Amino acid sequence: MDISRRDLHKGLLSLLLLGAARAEAAQVSPGLVILNRLTFGATPQNRTDLERQGLSDWLDAELAKPATDPALDRLLSQAKLQIAYGPGSNDTGAAWDGLDEMRHLNTLNADTASLMPLLDFEQPVSFAERIRPADEVKAASLIRAVNADAQLRELMTAFWHEHFSVNAYKDGPTAVFFPAYDRMLRGHAFGNFRMMLGDVATAPAMLSYLNNDASRASPANENFARELLELHTLGVKHYFNDIYDDWRQVPGATDGKATGYIDQDVYEVARAFTGWSIGDGRGNGKGIHAPLTGAFHYVERWHDPYQKRVLSVEFPPNRAPLADGEQVLDMLAAHPATAHHVAGKLLLRLGIESPSADYHAAVAARFHALVDDPDQIAHVLRTIVLHDEFQQTPPSKLRRPFEYLAGIYRASGAHVHAPTLDFDWHLGRAGWTQHAVKPPTGHPDHTADWANTRTLQGLIGLALYAHEGWMGAQMPGSGALREVTSLQSLAQRTENRFGVPEGTVSQALATLGVETLPDDRDGRVWVASVVHAAAALHPQFVLR
Amino acid sequence: MTEPVLVVIFLRGGADGLHLICPSADTDLIAARAPDLRVARKGDKAGFVLQDQAADVDFRFHPQAKGLSELFGAGELAVVHAAGLTDGTRSHFDAEDKMERASAVSTTGGWLGRWLANQEPDGPLPALAVGDSAPESLRGGGGVPVAGALDDLILPAGHELSHMIGQSMMDGFAAHPLIGPQISKLVGLSGLLSDRLTDPDTGERPNYRPDVKYPKGPLAQSLQTIAHALKLDLGLRIATADYGGWDTHINQAGDFAKRTRHLSQALMAFWRDLGDRREHVTVVVMSEFGRRLRSNTAGGTDHGYGNAMMIVGGNVKGGQMLGAWPGLQNEALAQGADLAITTDYRQVLAEVLRTHMKTPDLSPIFPDFADDPLGLFA
Repeated sequence: MDISRRDLHKGLLSLLLLGAARAEAAQVSPGLVILNRLTFGATPQNRTDLERQGLSDWLDAELAKPATDPALDRLLSQAKLQIAYGPGSNDTGAAWDGLDEMRHLNTLNADTASLMPLLDFEQPVSFAERIRPADEVKAASLIRAVNADAQLRELMTAFWHEHFSVNAYKDGPTAVFFPAYDRMLRGHAFGNFRMMLGDVATAPAMLSYLNNDASRASPANENFARELLELHTLGVKHYFNDIYDDWRQVPGATDGKATGYIDQDVYEVARAFTGWSIGDGRGNGKGIHAPLTGAFHYVERWHDPYQKRVLSVEFPPNRAPLADGEQVLDMLAAHPATAHHVAGKLLLRLGIESPSADYHAAVAARFHALVDDPDQIAHVLRTIVLHDEFQQTPPSKLRRPFEYLAGIYRASGAHVHAPTLDFDWHLGRAGWTQHAVKPPTGHPDHTADWANTRTLQGLIGLALYAHEGWMGAQMPGSGALREVTSLQSLAQRTENRFGVPEGTVSQALATLGVETLPDDRDGRVWVASVVHAAAALHPQFVLR
Repeated sequence: MTEPVLVVIFLRGGADGLHLICPSADTDLIAARAPDLRVARKGDKAGFVLQDQAADVDFRFHPQAKGLSELFGAGELAVVHAAGLTDGTRSHFDAEDKMERASAVSTTGGWLGRWLANQEPDGPLPALAVGDSAPESLRGGGGVPVAGALDDLILPAGHELSHMIGQSMMDGFAAHPLIGPQISKLVGLSGLLSDRLTDPDTGERPNYRPDVKYPKGPLAQSLQTIAHALKLDLGLRIATADYGGWDTHINQAGDFAKRTRHLSQALMAFWRDLGDRREHVTVVVMSEFGRRLRSNTAGGTDHGYGNAMMIVGGNVKGGQMLGAWPGLQNEALAQGADLAITTDYRQVLAEVLRTHMKTPDLSPIFPDFADDPLGLFA
């Protein structure tokens, strides 16, 4: 049955009341909820910071944190990730040797040009090497989510990864171009949408993923154009193809201000981006080759130069290189539908699944008004977070698998410095594919999309196994747990760190018949993993 | 097991029906498409002829669709070409959404969800969504379980905390309108399946081995799970499986061949695996739209309109192509570009529900659609 927003809130309210009735300390601290929305999880440190600074100042401090963090970079430069493959050979018989080694995340900050040999398919290179850059970004994503000081920036980077979703594992090129894509999105995370949109449209990872790199006149390849309109900017709510089959009929069109788009706009936008390709050395016809830069490369001969009409605006023929595409991006970034669409997605991501129309409109208006502001997104985030409704919305949203795992590690204080990709396998069991969503939508973000047996079963698996050392996280047992002197203090420490009611953990221990803290390390680790799982599966931790 | 079962396979991304079941001699098709984006009539890559056709057109299955052709020849597979969603959307997500809701007026979930809510089939597992998440078609069906394999419905086996966690989560989430019912379902199914799948002598849960060999691949994996559930007699009536990756904007030829091969082999293996249960099972294969008649300059095709649907079943009047073929001349095309739609896709679904699933009153399921039977079933 479909649940209306009112029913949902009613249900959540009773959930809270029920929780309150069950355990005395069930009052969810508002600070905890806020942190679980704006970071990958509350920790004792950020709880103290938020309390001391107050929400507005804390938020400003988060928004002021730069994209580069030397401490995090140091952590990443020390991390190692296994790579292993057998010997093999390519079509021409050229062979490579097998290997199995721990290797630093060398491609994360590499200049893409230096990675281009990975895309030379005449060279004998294992596929594991070709997709290694994607593996490294994936491993780094967990290290960053758990350890980054700039938590809101990291959370927003993940948001933009989903908004401008690229499957890093689609093929060799998407994998090789992915580290640069990740850096680019992180850099723009609080910045200006139009600038980010321009960098996305010219990013080799996106060009390769949605095939625009091969689009030329004519007929153009429409893949990127359609997703640009539907997913990245105006949104499917403003796709009117089932209503109108002539551009003049679209409301606003005769004034040059079409309020939405139809297929004819998709065709025209596809034409505008013909020739937007990649400098990967490919032959562009007549013996001309693209440069081997690993960067955006425009092929003038592939561009459809003639007049176009996009969203009821006429484009003259034969304009300067890139002018057609740039104007499309300008129009889309400044369109009210884009503001509405992106505002809705931001609210959804930050925990507000059904904002009031006023709240949504206020966020969209801010986005639209600041379309030229270099800190547009930061201002929009302030509008979202400092609105009354943000704090009044009860914690009802299910943490999705990746943020749930990161949240567990942040709460427990585990050291996640060199994860194995086993964590990715566990996420897959829960229905999550980190940086590898096949359709261009990214993962869905409504609780209704995740509240199913598969994901819940997967979350239980994550809670149970996150601390069994399978994923390269080091148990807090090696550090913080040493300070734990009794079962009771372990239970209290865990309840406090996870923000769950007093008694949650001690009850679990009692049910299992654990009465004393074991003396040996293995015993302590076992008890600790049990304790963390019990806390992590409490509704107050699962919901944000 | 005598209750009828419906399996819906959704080819996500817009599968190219003109390439899968190809009017191979059509001069408009030949003019608009490179040879590797249509099916050959001669040589070692010639397609399989569909003997009984809706029109005097040389329709052929893609050369990698041997299994589909065999099912067609055996009278167990029917084709409805030029079918689809008639409201003109060419967005994947919009089209999938609308098609799975299958009603412009009903606000209560998807067509399968409405069927479940209306029919209330009993048994521990009346419906199953195989994959990462439930499709929109099942929305409103009371929270259908989602799993890749039946093992996914068993709480981490052998873990000393599993039982306690199940109980305390049921308790803790009881009032959450979305999560509560799902936790209960998971805990219930976990107990049941764990009992059913554990060997009472050894106390171990052996890996499931199907009775026939399936090809390796995602759809085969999903269909194997559905067959497993059917064999356990859990009261399964509705199962869904998604097979993605049909959005072939670039270099369609190789990719499409690979996917078609897997679709064909997986479906054939599933059908064999069902054995005597076949007479109770109908499989519908559908996609959100077809693809553009004319190929693009990247060796691919863009989003189109009309498409082929396939229906496999023990009591399907197979070996024939139903519905009208509109042709591919420019004036016959939708917007001068795509295969037109002559059959509303709901016609096929309605007939399956009425005849195979024995649902006399379809008004709660398709409130705004009056069907006009094609004669899919004997």
